Formats: sequence, structure tokens, C-alpha cells
Amino acid sequence: MAVRVAEEWLNICGGCEVSILDIGDQLLDILPALEFVHMPVLMDSKYYGQLGERDHMEIPEADVGIISGGIRNDEEKKIAEEMRKKCKTLITLGSCACFGGIPAMANMWSVDELTDKVYRHCSTTESAATPTENIPGLLDRVYAVDEVVDVDVTIPGCPPSPDMIVEALTCLLEGKPFILPEKSVCDECPAKREKKAAGGDIKRPLQPLDIKVGEPWENTRCFMEQGVLCIGPVTRAGCSGTTVEEGEEKVPRCIKGYMPCRGCFGPIRKGANPLVDMVSSISSIGLDVKQVVDRRALLNRYIGGQNRLKPLPVRN
Amino acid sequence: MPEDSFEPLIITFCCNWCSYAGADLAGTSRIQYPASIRIIRVMCSGMVHPNVVIDTLTKGADAVIICGCHPGDCHYLEGNLKAEMRREGIELLLDDLGLEQERFRLEWVSASEGQKFAALMTEMTDKVKALGPSPYSTS
Repeated sequence: MAVRVAEEWLNICGGCEVSILDIGDQLLDILPALEFVHMPVLMDSKYYGQLGERDHMEIPEADVGIISGGIRNDEEKKIAEEMRKKCKTLITLGSCACFGGIPAMANMWSVDELTDKVYRHCSTTESAATPTENIPGLLDRVYAVDEVVDVDVTIPGCPPSPDMIVEALTCLLEGKPFILPEKSVCDECPAKREKKAAGGDIKRPLQPLDIKVGEPWENTRCFMEQGVLCIGPVTRAGCSGTTVEEGEEKVPRCIKGYMPCRGCFGPIRKGANPLVDMVSSISSIGLDVKQVVDRRALLNRYIGGQNRLKPLPVRN
Repeated sequence: MPEDSFEPLIITFCCNWCSYAGADLAGTSRIQYPASIRIIRVMCSGMVHPNVVIDTLTKGADAVIICGCHPGDCHYLEGNLKAEMRREGIELLLDDLGLEQERFRLEWVSASEGQKFAALMTEMTDKVKALGPSPYSTS
């Protein structure tokens, strides 16, 4: 019997769903074993019945529920709770669902400050009152899904890698646990490290790097040591994929594209504080942390939920 | 709690070899210093990770002091220099958390400086009293 799957997108851009499609050929292998019963991004299934006849929200029963996106408003909170009720196994897909993601950077301000900025102090729009009718109310901050309901499996990434989605689904189908590695991106990175910065200032993201595309990785110096902020040391490994073709080296995704790690896989283990760890890590190789622009947001870029980013306390 | 009766909670990490002995000397010499200090003995000031300091400050303490041996006197040769290297990072993190940088202090206290230890604790208590309770304070 096919496994019934419900998929739901909340506070998200839709990239995680594209990532599911991006699985490619392998998707055809696992597709016969899956039956999608609810997936707003692909099919029309209404919460209150096709004609709006029901008086309460309903999502069909499913064996596996996949949620992408964090929780920002009342509606999303209700949907997440309903998904938990109807799904035996709940998967959070993508950094937004796992840690709050990019939208959770808004957690640095209160909702009042945000709406005030957007509706009244934005130079490109006309001032207006904050809309209240016919739209769900905002919660006090952006929540990761696991702050609202229990979650069984997390697949981080922005977007998550198709390999990992296949692996997680296969594990589920075979009844095996899907466990993320507890090591950092640096542990899987083949770039050459000398444990000391090459000297100079911290570079901004678009400043040129000393790299030769196509050179073997052992000739490429660690990006961080070249002065480019790479969040690899405090980010969970896994983006380099589980399977590597013969003769190919395992390289983290962004590094492979000659860009520094952005930290989308989140903290290495639960309860870690990447901001603090990263500050120590930057200074330990001899770079100046003071030069990191917008430190707090940058080092919490994908993980602002789960109370990592909050409005600063008011000083008297 | 009324404003004037604010008694700060200050966590002090003292290294086993110098500063803890210094604090001991302050005690055995009967030098008075405020009771707002809670001393935690650690083997070396260099083993106090920034994570511990940040956790302490965000989970209820009003201030944190790390006391270690004078540079050059470290039992482990350069543990206190490691602590010194971390100082700036910790101060920056306090900014990120919206705390005053004065709430963290790294000081050198040797085993013979009981007087200095007591003076330091008195000074810090006064300073934190002037700053008021930490916004993360739980008391």
C-alpha cells in the first residue's frame, strides 16, 4: 500500500518544494510508493471543504506530513497543529521550518516596530493603517515548527538538498531512523587549512577570492583564512551529499560553487549558540571580529527562531 | 524589589592556582567584601569558554568576573593569555545581547593579593549597583 503524504507550505518562498522536484530521476523510483493526499502547492484541496461547507479546518489523514516554512501568523499555527494531528510522522523541510530561516531575522524587532516600519515609515509606499480585516494576525515573532508542535524528522538546508530528501524518505519507507551527522561543514571541507589567517581585513562577500576554478582542492586555501566570512565552523555538515560519484571529491555545496558557507544547515547540535562559537572561531585564527558587519544578523542568518534572535532589551 | 535594595548577583570564576587562593586569603585575613559575589572555582581562567559567560549573563547573573593568574604566572603557562584573547569577543557579544560591557570583567589576582581581590569585588558590586539589574535578571 502506498504511503500517504501530506505536504504543507507555511512562511516560505517555495524553494523547498522546488527542491522536491529537483530530486529528478530518483523521484520516479520512490513515487509509486507515495500517494500525495494534500499539497497546496500542487493540488487543490481546501481546508474548509471544496465549497467551504465545513465549519472547521481539516487536512486528510496521512502517514507522513512534510512542513516547509516557519510559523509567522495564526493561520500557519493552526495548520501546523492540524498537520500534527493528522500525520503519523512529521517532517520539517528546509531551514525556515527547522530554525525560522531568513524571515526569522525579523525577530530582532517587535511586531509593532515591524508593522510601523512597513506601513508607515517606508519611503516607497504610502502610509496606511496596519490591515486587520480578512487576514490572519501576526504572531509575536517567527517560530520554528518544532517550537509549536512536536517534530519527528528534520531536513535542514536552504534549499534542502534533493539527496537528503530522498535519503530521509527512503529511511522512512524502510522504517530506519534518519539521523543528521553531528559534525561541522569544515569537517567535510577539502580546502587547505593552515589554522592562521593569511592576514588583512575581513572581506565583504563580493570581494574577489584567491581561487582558481578547477584546481584540485588541496591547492585552495580555506576561505575563512583568506578573510572571507564562512559560517562552516559552526554549521552542521551534510550538504555535500551522501553519495559521491567515483573519482569525485565530497565538497560542501557552497564551497563547491566557490562561495563561503552561509550556515543554512543550522547549529551542529541542539542548544549550540553559533553566534558565540563563531566569534571565538573568527578570533582564534587571528581575524578581527569587530570588522564583521551586522554581526548579530549575519551569524544568525538562518536560525533566528528558537529564541536565538530577539529584540534587544531596552537600556535605561 | 525596591530600587535601593538591589543586591546584584555576580558570578566570579576564579582559577584554582592564584585567584581562588587570593580569595581564600581575603577570607582568612577577615577582609570584608560584599556578599553579592558567588565564586566558582575553575582549574584555569583559560577554560572559561565565552559560551559559559554568555549563558551566565543571559540566565540570571548581573555580572561576570573572570579572575586568573598574572600573565607569565599561569600554572598551565598560557591559559590566562587565552582568556585575554577571548575578552574582546565576549565584550562584543555583550553588545549583541544589549548588555553593558561593564558587566564583564577579566582581572588578574595572585595568591597573595587578598586585599586586591576584596577591593575588586567591592568596586564591581558598586559599579553593577549603579548599572542596575541586568535585563535578563531572573530575581
